[in-house]
Amino acid sequence: MIDTSQLILPDDLRYGEDHEWARLEGDKVRVGISDYAQQQLGDITFVELPNVGDSFEKGQQFGAVESTKAVSDLFMPIGGEILEVNQAIRETPELVNQAPYGGGWMILVKPTRVDEFDELMTKDAYRDMVGRTE
Amino acid sequence: MPQGKRTPLYDWHVAHGATMTGFAGWDMPVWYPTGAVAEHRTVITNAGLFDTSHMCAVSISGPDAFDLLQLCVTKDLNACVGATKRPLQPGDGVFGAYLNERGELIDDTILYMIAQGAYLSVVNAGHGREIAEHLKANRGGRDARVEEISHKVGKIDLQGPLSAKVLKKVLNDPLTVLSDIQYFGFKGYFEEQQQPSDVRLIDGTPIMLSRTGFTGEFGFEILVSRDRLLSVWENILPAGQDQGLIACGLAARDSLRAGGMLPLSHQDMGSWPFINNPWTFVLPFDDEGKSFTKKFVGDVVLAERERAEHTYAFVGYDPRKVSGKGLSVVIDSGGNEIGVVLTCVSDMAIGLSSGRIFSISSPDKPRDFKPGGLSCGFVRVRTALAIGQEVELRDSRRTIKVRIVDDVRPDRTARRPIHDMLRDKEELK
Repeated sequence: MIDTSQLILPDDLRYGEDHEWARLEGDKVRVGISDYAQQQLGDITFVELPNVGDSFEKGQQFGAVESTKAVSDLFMPIGGEILEVNQAIRETPELVNQAPYGGGWMILVKPTRVDEFDELMTKDAYRDMVGRTE
Repeated sequence: MPQGKRTPLYDWHVAHGATMTGFAGWDMPVWYPTGAVAEHRTVITNAGLFDTSHMCAVSISGPDAFDLLQLCVTKDLNACVGATKRPLQPGDGVFGAYLNERGELIDDTILYMIAQGAYLSVVNAGHGREIAEHLKANRGGRDARVEEISHKVGKIDLQGPLSAKVLKKVLNDPLTVLSDIQYFGFKGYFEEQQQPSDVRLIDGTPIMLSRTGFTGEFGFEILVSRDRLLSVWENILPAGQDQGLIACGLAARDSLRAGGMLPLSHQDMGSWPFINNPWTFVLPFDDEGKSFTKKFVGDVVLAERERAEHTYAFVGYDPRKVSGKGLSVVIDSGGNEIGVVLTCVSDMAIGLSSGRIFSISSPDKPRDFKPGGLSCGFVRVRTALAIGQEVELRDSRRTIKVRIVDDVRPDRTARRPIHDMLRDKEELK
């Protein structure tokens, strides 16, 4: 049981149902997992990331994040092509715990449809969703 | 999830931000805000404190207590201590197992000889009554009293190379207590009506101090009266601040013990013949390893050697895991499914360098060594495998390649002499 009011959820991000976040950066979208997701997983020990150039649709699995507790699939909050993956978290997966919205980002995407970004949840809607599942 | 049973430290765990999980009917801390990886590594480099009060204790006493235990515990209690295999004496603990008539595990135990005709068997959470009933069922005409006393006992495990230095600060007359305590030896008792204790904390609390644990590292299990548990915990934890002592949860305990080659009862050993596994040293083999030195309940297991399945330890090439508890299969180089995965965790204090496993505590580790973690655990397979042989482990998500090994985390400290673990040796004189 967690106190959802204590979750760090930046204003400028949008959130997906599978606990990924998305940040619009010009015409690109950066993606990671939320503070809630990293807390639930516990210490992250390994992140499996896609190759640059791969394309996925919204909702498709693009990788997996592994913690001392479990392995969880990572899903695209928005469809598009992988432009960059965060090499740093391959070497230092604990960055995802330490800075889920910063150094722990996962992929940079060139979206197929930018309007998919607007369909994602705001932080308040996401906080409500987490509150309902807790 | 239904609410589980709570140890006297439950409120402390919750107040200190522990993530709680259900384990064998108990609500236990799985990790604290420090995180399971830091907890695991701290036990290898410094020291960690674990609440293990969910475990059970059974007292066996009376003129025929020895005979009853010799019948029910796998170890030959007349020849089980040290390299010389001397008989169990007061002050000795021994690791053994209880088997049923078919030679299958009921539970494992550390059996302590408290005094002549007085023994304490510490068994796993949820198995105290079962072991007590098993002993009573085999008692026959023997004059032996069997009583489950789990509700009276609290247990705290202090594990890690700096554990003795932590104890020096909280024990009354620490150097007398610590100077000669052997691996698997113990001193004192937690309940003085039965047995006066020669080990006390500075505040007078009597404790039973056992040089044992479930991490593969140097350390102690501390048994206390259950109503003193919180006070002992709150006494030790701040005392260990200089040594970097932290509270640790069940996740670190699980990954430490797997890297330390220690089996989890009812997961790595269970309702199948107790033979052909890495822990057959608990069986009373003679010097030639062909027959047993005594008769005991479950000794039929010797005849199962040819047909029983084999349990092996394995280690992977990175920290990626598959599911344990029988949910993943083992595949040999010919593509045949040969068995199941019992345990698969990541030991996050080790890593590969030039094909060799190093630990963060390895004195000869490469200068740039980074413990990226390696998956490890145990498999049970139908065919014999060779040490070094590669197999694949597969669950619904992935397949990982692992190597069958006879050891996992190197440079463990569990057996290090006590003198090495106290920095200022002159203090022991």
